[in-house]
Amino acid sequence: MPSNPAKLKVIWLQGITCNGNTHSFLNDPALGTLLETIEFIHHPLLPCQKTLKDLVKKVPKSDVLIFEGAYSAPFERAGVEMRTLLPALAHKAKHIISMGSCASFGGIFKENDPEHISGIVFDKENGSGPLKAMQEKVITLSGCPAHPKWLSFVIDMISAGREILVDEFRRPKELYAYLVHNGCLRNEYFEWKVDSERFGTKEGCLFYAQGCQGPYTHGSCNKILWNDVSSKTRSGTPCVGCTEPAFPKRDLFTTKTYMSIPSEMPLGIPKRSYLALAGAAKSFHIKRLEERLIDDHA
Amino acid sequence: MITHELIERIEGEAVLDFQTDKSGRVQEAAIRFLHFRGIEAILEGRNALDSLVIAPRVCGICGHSHLIAAVRMLESLYENAGYPVTLTPKAHALREITLSCELIQNHIKWLYLVMLHESGKLLGEEPPVALKALYVTSQVNQLCALFSGQWPHSSYALPGGVTCDPTHIEVMQALKILSEVERFIEDEVLGCGTELFESHMKNDTLGTLKGDFGTLLRNFERLELLDSGKSHGRFLVLGNERIAMAFDVRSNAQPDLVSEDASQTFENGGKTYAKNALYNGEFYEGGPLARALVQERAGISDLYRIHGDSAVTRLCARVEEMVLLCAQVRQLLTSLDLSQRSFIPPASIETISGSGIGIVEAPRGSLIHKARIEKGRIMEYSIITPTQWNLGNGPSDNPGTAQKAMIGVESIAKASLIFRTFDVCSVCTTH
Repeated sequence: MPSNPAKLKVIWLQGITCNGNTHSFLNDPALGTLLETIEFIHHPLLPCQKTLKDLVKKVPKSDVLIFEGAYSAPFERAGVEMRTLLPALAHKAKHIISMGSCASFGGIFKENDPEHISGIVFDKENGSGPLKAMQEKVITLSGCPAHPKWLSFVIDMISAGREILVDEFRRPKELYAYLVHNGCLRNEYFEWKVDSERFGTKEGCLFYAQGCQGPYTHGSCNKILWNDVSSKTRSGTPCVGCTEPAFPKRDLFTTKTYMSIPSEMPLGIPKRSYLALAGAAKSFHIKRLEERLIDDHA
Repeated sequence: MITHELIERIEGEAVLDFQTDKSGRVQEAAIRFLHFRGIEAILEGRNALDSLVIAPRVCGICGHSHLIAAVRMLESLYENAGYPVTLTPKAHALREITLSCELIQNHIKWLYLVMLHESGKLLGEEPPVALKALYVTSQVNQLCALFSGQWPHSSYALPGGVTCDPTHIEVMQALKILSEVERFIEDEVLGCGTELFESHMKNDTLGTLKGDFGTLLRNFERLELLDSGKSHGRFLVLGNERIAMAFDVRSNAQPDLVSEDASQTFENGGKTYAKNALYNGEFYEGGPLARALVQERAGISDLYRIHGDSAVTRLCARVEEMVLLCAQVRQLLTSLDLSQRSFIPPASIETISGSGIGIVEAPRGSLIHKARIEKGRIMEYSIITPTQWNLGNGPSDNPGTAQKAMIGVESIAKASLIFRTFDVCSVCTTH
């Protein structure tokens, strides 16, 4: 009989957080299968071996340290400051996962104290966080929150001893090489420059007027769907760009334009090419794309 | 003797400072929350619509309630500025469906991750990870996401409606998920049909329930806590009904009688800004028990008459609300008229100045968002969360709702469990 491989020992620690990544993680319907390969030394909600009080008393070794929430040196858990607790746990961890945009880049809570709050490796796009020196063992899972399947993918890759290819922010390319735009059901409207004139319809692209960040945002939200069924853009909500270091931008429901052209080009598209293409595409009137998809709901 | 107890597994942490007598019985309990994030300050200066993205990030477990509070605040702002916003019945129903989903999943997590686990631990029995409960909450959140795009942290509600334009495919999928959830509640939580559950409440025979809720009540019985946890007996619902109830006397609740009080706030190096929320200058309890009592729902009202606002009534109210909400979601899903519009565009936010207030019945009670806007920019933003009502920290001669419920309990371990019956949320409190 093959012996059961040892379970990965995982610690989940929270910095300045809303617990959104914790609850996102609990949405993975395959959680039971995942828990066959990992065990939590500490988790903020799930039953686990050690309480926070135990954890700070004697810092344990771990295979994976998951950090959720933004970093601030004097922020405390169980009476111990992050400037002490996080490096101690990180040194004793084989792998570190920065879970969510707060842990990755500072996220929303950085806005309240931009000088002192950051991600664990990156502060916005600058690599100046407290774990910069050990960034080789950090995997970034940005997102507000990060998708539960992104986390289980990384844990599976670590369990299998496979190398994870990463981008400049140490985000797995398999998850973040896509744009949120890829797989969006409104792509055809984007291509033919057909604007969604208002919210609450299936038709039209949200990029031209409603502030959709899909063409700028790295993430597989439209490939690995949220809660297995949908995504922001599929429910007609513009992407807010939550996986990027610049999150949260301002004026999220409007697109800045210059002479009625989006002032920021879709990622990697030179302005000149875009203008030529947009001019040509707009000159076509494709009747199908100007009509309702389903005329009669009832 | 004074003991400081760190309370974990409550959406963050709190510290309870207990004053006990020689036998260990609780004489006084003070509640300290440890952290502060500053969401109100983060919102100020931004476009008012950005609140629909930022405000849900107050809390990972009830962010959708914050979204709905923010959108109602914006709609009231439009109304006050003389530009009334019209919502179709469909848009209204979709918001109610997704909001109800958030309450249902919250209550299931509270029951399994917090109450069964912590009461078991106190009895020396540590239950394993409640995978069946987590699976069903993932399904409830899937039902929500069919319309809202994702859970947690969707931003699908905007002044004038919702962004989604669902078809019958989503509605049929939602109904199937709902059937699974209802089956889970009957088979696993209650161990009986909902009518029998109703009669158990009426006849005060809940202890015989075969499901996991029965186990929880028996845990409380073994700990001799079923009739502990009595508080002031003052209840408040500020959501759709706006009713206050004190000493069984009901009155229409006025949002302008709500105040915040920072005099009992522990502010140690800026670590917490948890303030008390008061109604008419007094502590009131919010949440499922308050909602059931002011709506005069039969089962909970029967229990209240026998047991007052003790642990058994408070625990049961949260479970009874799951049943009620499932029935409401079913009714809303089956009566949706998909031909109605999802969204009716209001005037541009840049043209709007004034003040707005949005109130929602969130899982733990009444949630209030208030803001002052000038030409679409947020000048001031103020949030009062449900846990501020229940976990407000008063002086010893005027304890808050949860504080009062802990006084007289025979040990700090048991008092800590009573504390959890309020479904504590640290991140909301320290927004």
